[in-house]
Amino acid sequence: MSKAALVLLSVVALLLVVQIIDRWREPAQLKAVMEASERAASAQERMLLELKGMREELARRPAPSTGQPQPEVTAPASDQQRDGKPRLGANFLKLYDRSHFHPQWVGGTLRSFNSSPKGFNPIVENSADASSASGLVNDSLCTNHPATPHLWSESLAESVVISDDWKTYTFRLREGVMWQRPVIARQPEFAWLDRDVPLSAADFVAYLDMIKHPEVECPALKSYFDDLEKAEAPDPRTLVLHWKKKVFTSMASSLGLEPLPRHVYLSNRDGSPIPVAQIGTTFNKHWFDDLGGLIGVGAYILELNENDRLVRFRRNPSYWGAPLHFETFEWDAEVRLPDPQLVAFKNGQVHSHGLSPTQYKSQILDGAEPRFAKPVPGDAKAGRAGELGWELVRSHAYQYIGWNLRKPLFADKRTRQALAYAFPKQRIIDEVWFGLGRPQIGPIHLDSPYFNTQLKDFDFAPARATALLAEAGWRDSDADGWLDREIDGKRVTLRIQLKYVANRPEWDATLAVYRDELKSIGVDLAVTSYEWKELLRIYEEKDFDAAVGGWQLGSLEPDFWQLWHSSTADEPRSSNHVGFKNARIDELCVTLRETFETDLRKPIIEEVQAIIFAEQPYLFFRSPTSAFVWQNRGPPATGRWLRGVTDGLDAYHPLFNRANLLWHFANE
Amino acid sequence: MWSYAFRRCLWMIPTFLGILLINFAVLRLQGLSLTDQVSAGQQGEGDRKVTAASAAIETWLGRFRRTGNDLPALVNLRGFTGSETVRSRLAAAQRGPQVNEAKRSRAELEDLWLQGGLLVEPLLVVLADDAAAKLHGPASFALSLCAYRPLLVEDLDRLSQPEQDRLRARNDRLRQLRIAYRNTSEHGYVSDDPQAETKRQALLALLRADAADFERSGRRWTAIIGETGFTDFMGKLFTGRLYSETRKDYAFAIIADRWSVTAWLNVIAILIAWGVSIPLGVWSARRTGTLADRATTGALFAAWSIPSFFVATLLLHHLCTSQSGEPALFPNRGLSSPGSMWLSTPAYLMDLLWHAALPLVCLTYQSFTALSRYMRANVLEQLSSDYIRTARAKGVSDDAVVWKHATRNSLVTMITLGAGLLAELFGGFVFVEYVFSIPGLGTLMLEAAKQQDAPLLMASTVVSVSLLLVGILIADLLYAVADPRIKARYA
Repeated sequence: MSKAALVLLSVVALLLVVQIIDRWREPAQLKAVMEASERAASAQERMLLELKGMREELARRPAPSTGQPQPEVTAPASDQQRDGKPRLGANFLKLYDRSHFHPQWVGGTLRSFNSSPKGFNPIVENSADASSASGLVNDSLCTNHPATPHLWSESLAESVVISDDWKTYTFRLREGVMWQRPVIARQPEFAWLDRDVPLSAADFVAYLDMIKHPEVECPALKSYFDDLEKAEAPDPRTLVLHWKKKVFTSMASSLGLEPLPRHVYLSNRDGSPIPVAQIGTTFNKHWFDDLGGLIGVGAYILELNENDRLVRFRRNPSYWGAPLHFETFEWDAEVRLPDPQLVAFKNGQVHSHGLSPTQYKSQILDGAEPRFAKPVPGDAKAGRAGELGWELVRSHAYQYIGWNLRKPLFADKRTRQALAYAFPKQRIIDEVWFGLGRPQIGPIHLDSPYFNTQLKDFDFAPARATALLAEAGWRDSDADGWLDREIDGKRVTLRIQLKYVANRPEWDATLAVYRDELKSIGVDLAVTSYEWKELLRIYEEKDFDAAVGGWQLGSLEPDFWQLWHSSTADEPRSSNHVGFKNARIDELCVTLRETFETDLRKPIIEEVQAIIFAEQPYLFFRSPTSAFVWQNRGPPATGRWLRGVTDGLDAYHPLFNRANLLWHFANE
Repeated sequence: MWSYAFRRCLWMIPTFLGILLINFAVLRLQGLSLTDQVSAGQQGEGDRKVTAASAAIETWLGRFRRTGNDLPALVNLRGFTGSETVRSRLAAAQRGPQVNEAKRSRAELEDLWLQGGLLVEPLLVVLADDAAAKLHGPASFALSLCAYRPLLVEDLDRLSQPEQDRLRARNDRLRQLRIAYRNTSEHGYVSDDPQAETKRQALLALLRADAADFERSGRRWTAIIGETGFTDFMGKLFTGRLYSETRKDYAFAIIADRWSVTAWLNVIAILIAWGVSIPLGVWSARRTGTLADRATTGALFAAWSIPSFFVATLLLHHLCTSQSGEPALFPNRGLSSPGSMWLSTPAYLMDLLWHAALPLVCLTYQSFTALSRYMRANVLEQLSSDYIRTARAKGVSDDAVVWKHATRNSLVTMITLGAGLLAELFGGFVFVEYVFSIPGLGTLMLEAAKQQDAPLLMASTVVSVSLLLVGILIADLLYAVADPRIKARYA
């Protein structure tokens, strides 16, 4: 074959390949065109809805008569006590706060990393991603504003009155709230969903009915509502919850209740009602969940869910409340590892992110990324100057080393106190954790309004540790360098087997430092790391001398029962894995659960902290801070640089100051 | 030749089953237990969320029955458990003062709860025994769970309405008829349920009335193999019903969305590996002993000793990260740009190539060393053969000797390395896909392993193993094509 023929053949083959690929791409392109046209139709629909809303708003506004400035909206006289602090017999909810919303800021797409939820069922799914999605799409009866997270405000409920010795909650719902129409409603098969459905009190009753249904798989949620006697909806705007007992935890469960779209979940795929007997079974694997559907009454509508790739939420034009400032939210689920995530952030593919301690060290402290401003000693806000902004933010969490109190080694509290004196907490935080954290002193976070400020932490004092160990009977009787003591007729060396989670270099170093310090006072610490799943099993089986752990604390209102009540010490799989038992704490746990008034709760919580601090069942280590980073400033680029981040950091409670109420894009 | 191909295909079946069996056993040995499923409800890693714990164990039974996790792995002898064994196990599970004993007792009880209908008969014997009053509490609890028949969505079509109603009513009654008891450190089982006797009689009556559902004289024999985790898994595998609980979808549907990315990336990687290694090996062989040959060998071994995930991370940080506002040289993620859908096909292919360049470098550079050194050794061996000497003596040119004779004969042994290369690549793509955020089978497998999603992991393994076996088969067939001795043997 001649060279020319060969070249000709190659060109023909190449063209053929291109043609084949072209044909292969066609269906996907066609699908994308269809989706784009659907989006355009939906955008038009939204615009019409917004127009309608604006007309209605204009019609509602009274004509200005005097030209005088209108007074600020204030609470009615009867509502002067609406300070957000729970009280009996009167509506205490703060008015709904719309002050963060500025219409001129609206627009753009906020992108962040998040894994895509594998299901959106509001009851059966208990993943963090599903609950974040639900937070965007749905609202609850009442809410906590990030500036005042300990106070309750209006949301879907305009009022709540608690009566019957804190056992009955009567909610009055907001009028005119509508359920979103699911994306699938545009398909002919689901045309029956393409209608306006108003929110009703029965939607909340349906939510509770599903949780209480014996066949519905939601064990975690069920436990929150074990004490709920019944829920009633005497009319579409009134919801009444009756609890069997006066328990403080029932308040957050009641006020934080979300509605269930009963018109979807109680219907078959063709719109016919599901027979009552089959509701529980079908709910566990509902057709709407199989289609990846999610609807609510909230500010955003789930528009797209490409598993493990992208989740997109779009602004709900008929939202009843004050929304956030972004037209769309996108969750990037494709990038999973910390390093690729950092690169993607630096390339501007997401707007905000959190750095790991080692990334903070290399990128900011060591200056590997010049677009981050250099840290300035004493200036916590120095990171705001860079093209990429950074600031150290706090989490409502703490880490600890738990001592297994069932073991005779830790029976004497002086031993546990000595172990605290031998732990150079501040040094470890500064040198091993690069200053990311503050010393934790007890079971309450330092930024909580309930923190007991009278407590003074154990300093690093090896001499004091040695003295306390001697008082507890530990001596080096056989001169082998390790302390020992006679327990039940046997000589026992003070040797502690500590278990912790693997692949955490900061914990490796922390425990290496602690091991050296303990060695110098004659205590032998042996450490072993385990995969997280294995460590969970170890906690549950209480199979350890000492174990490293951490707690995410969630609400600011503490409840000590789960971790510290004696009854949980021997319970299978309880969170009291150290086996803490204390009669006074038991009494205080009960009292606290029956005390609803903030001012009365404070002294109880402070006493609990003092006792637990003295008992030292945990060596309380650190409340974490982490480096929060965002796209801060740079050359004009639409939808790239975030504004309002620092306003939120300054204005809101330090544990909730990454709430994105004030965030918006720079309009260069 | 066909007989040879047929034999190779037949051999694939036991190999395939053997690999699946080993994988399945490893997963089960890893301990997919009730505790895992309960713990799976907890979020986060390292920091656990304070939430109220729950003991509503039967709500997990549906999931357990669905996934086949309640069945023994390979052999089911539950039908042969006698009432005495059950009695002694219940008695042994009483809590003692020691921690370890408490741990053991819980594990034994939970094991009993999961045993299903085959244990109802012996448990009924214990419950009916007036002398075993102390065991009535735990026996009633175990009975209520063993006889519990969670209704799955599939059952709504499979079972008649009266049958569904009957099972629901029985499930409700079972829940109500549990005799309340505590397992105390001081006195073992203690029951202060005032309705204990009434509940016991009612439970006995209820389950005796439904005795046909729990009859086990015939079932116990078929259950030995028929009701095991492996049989359940194989049944679901061949009917395509392997279901991923974490992703709420059928495992093969999830994989169908991803396997093509991995497959074509691997095919191109193999072509590059061979396309570079063979000429490089020949080139080295022709220059054997020279500085160029030694330098090439040294460089290739240096590259071979650097792990690919490390190289991938280095490339990501230095070539895929924008510096001071300048865009990066290569994309940091995926296999296509966001708007590539609307590009013309040549531009689309260029975009694809741009995205795949660095992952392909990471996937292939290590295989250059082994393949090219094998090729070099083979060519050297051929060059010293008699027939080459004869060819040279007949005046054949050097290029013709090397390329037409030595290289061609060396390729026969290289074919066998092809299958090994495929296996090697399967190890490598997991990390490379993860670092470059490519949504392929590798990322999926790693995610499934992290989430302990056994069905998805097994399904991914099935696909990987199938691809590997097909690769080996192709290599074997090519070997037969290339080697006339094999062809002659099976002719």
